Amino acid sequence: MKTKIVFLLFFVVIGIAATAFRTSNDWLFVVPRGWQKPAYNFQQNPLHKQKIELGRALFYDPLLSKNGMVSCASCHSQYSAFTHGDHALSHGIHDSIGTRNAPALMNLAWQRVFMRDGAINHLDMQALAPISNPAEMGESITHVVAKMQATILYPRLFAAAFGDSVITGERTLKAIAQFMLILVSSNAKYDSVTRKQAVFSEQERKGYVLFKKHCSTCHTEPFFTNHQFMNNGLPVDSTIRDLGRFGVTQNPDDSLKFAVPTLRNIEFSYPYMHDGRFKRLPDVLNHYTAIGLQNRTKSHTLAKELQTPIALSSNDKVDLTAFLLTLTDRGFLFNPAFSFPRNIVFETAKD
Amino acid sequence: MNCRAVFGQQSPVNASTIRLSIIPTFGAKSIVIRDSAFQAKDARNTQIDMLKFYISRIQFLHKGAVVLEEAQSFHLIDAAREVSFHLAVQNKRGVRFDAVRFHLGIDSATSVFGAMGGDLDPTRGMYWTWQSGYINFKCEGKSNACTARNNEFQFHLGGYKQPFDCLQTLTFPISVSDTITIQFDVERFLSKIDMAKHHHFMSPSADAVRLSAQAAESFRIVH
Repeated sequence: MKTKIVFLLFFVVIGIAATAFRTSNDWLFVVPRGWQKPAYNFQQNPLHKQKIELGRALFYDPLLSKNGMVSCASCHSQYSAFTHGDHALSHGIHDSIGTRNAPALMNLAWQRVFMRDGAINHLDMQALAPISNPAEMGESITHVVAKMQATILYPRLFAAAFGDSVITGERTLKAIAQFMLILVSSNAKYDSVTRKQAVFSEQERKGYVLFKKHCSTCHTEPFFTNHQFMNNGLPVDSTIRDLGRFGVTQNPDDSLKFAVPTLRNIEFSYPYMHDGRFKRLPDVLNHYTAIGLQNRTKSHTLAKELQTPIALSSNDKVDLTAFLLTLTDRGFLFNPAFSFPRNIVFETAKD
Repeated sequence: MNCRAVFGQQSPVNASTIRLSIIPTFGAKSIVIRDSAFQAKDARNTQIDMLKFYISRIQFLHKGAVVLEEAQSFHLIDAAREVSFHLAVQNKRGVRFDAVRFHLGIDSATSVFGAMGGDLDPTRGMYWTWQSGYINFKCEGKSNACTARNNEFQFHLGGYKQPFDCLQTLTFPISVSDTITIQFDVERFLSKIDMAKHHHFMSPSADAVRLSAQAAESFRIVH
């Protein structure tokens, strides 16, 4: 009898422990109500608090760059919706200037391909691109691993995350992916209205109607992107000559197409467009109302929704802007779990 | 998805193990790159600085049917690491076979899987960074026939999406044996490239597909 009770107790304890672990993982990433299932396969990289913390350390550590000066956060700062605030094009090591505007980072678990042209096929592999780009971090993942092995900090963080202190490229990339996965923005005023916890002002409501009429085909709710590649009629910058998705597929039908960006937190993600050519929201709206009026901006890949200019009065633009500002999620922009890890002292990289 | 054969280690060989060796050669001469590059004594004064390629999905066939397939079958053959030439496939059921089949390169499903370890870890230097995908085959060196700066050539072949899918499938008939040796003759591969016109391929393209087929044709079974 006693043995049976001990056995039962054993299974109860194991059961509670297993549930707690699952609950704890569920807590680390919550699918907002009404949102679809994420594209990311969490079973291949189950979230773990210490792995996320490792990924967070890696995100903020300039050790990832060749000269120890540039971190992921240098071009993706939290307060500007993880973009490079106020920079049309970002600067990497040795003041090198890149060719594209740093995209906002949020809700990446629902995204299947990454970068403005979709060149990266998996969130795990995304970090390799900025680490290796000579105009960004100019480093190699192989050397990053070697540098981390020579620190006191990282063997400890890897051991806490993975159970032993072995540092590999796979573990490094998966940890960075875990940090990026938890960057979920779903608590803007818009979301509160959707959940019937708040109401739009009259101006915001009018703006929402205009948004649904003119913008939502591409900037589809709830992500405010359809995760597609579109040509929105921007003339080619003659100094960069960026043809977007064409560079990846070599398909002429993809010429001048770029990933449709999310509009969440757009108040803080300026400047706008793939090359950051527009500094302010009115510039963006003016582009969409003038598009196609000049033949030089028309190309055969121009989105069909934009073949004729969008008609918006001055008042409409003000209303639409009021709605766009309801996409600001201050809980996301100032979430301490996403900010610089103040409990960690980064060591100077030994090159 | 870790590889069964961990990079730098050799699996134990026993009676139920098939030994499969993939040996890089220049003509008949084995290539080993240690502290310095491999120097061929040919008319073009060819030098091989790097030669690495993936062998994957190793299968054994009998009368055209697959009778044995290695699990987690991804192997990076690196001319700079002799230990990587020798693979061991477990044949616990002792099945008979008359052919071996494998891929040169990494298949599309694996290419979109995300971060992986072992020989597929990006620290192996066989993963493109500006555009996702494994580099199936890397050959770098010098040749007097090459008109590029310092006579240097770089052939990085890869691409998993149509129309530039570079994956190659090779099949060799074999007399029943537990020891199989296959050579990759880099001289044969390079002899098909007009290096006055082509010195480097670094991205998925029609040329990369063509050269991948040429690389596949440069394998031969020895016994």
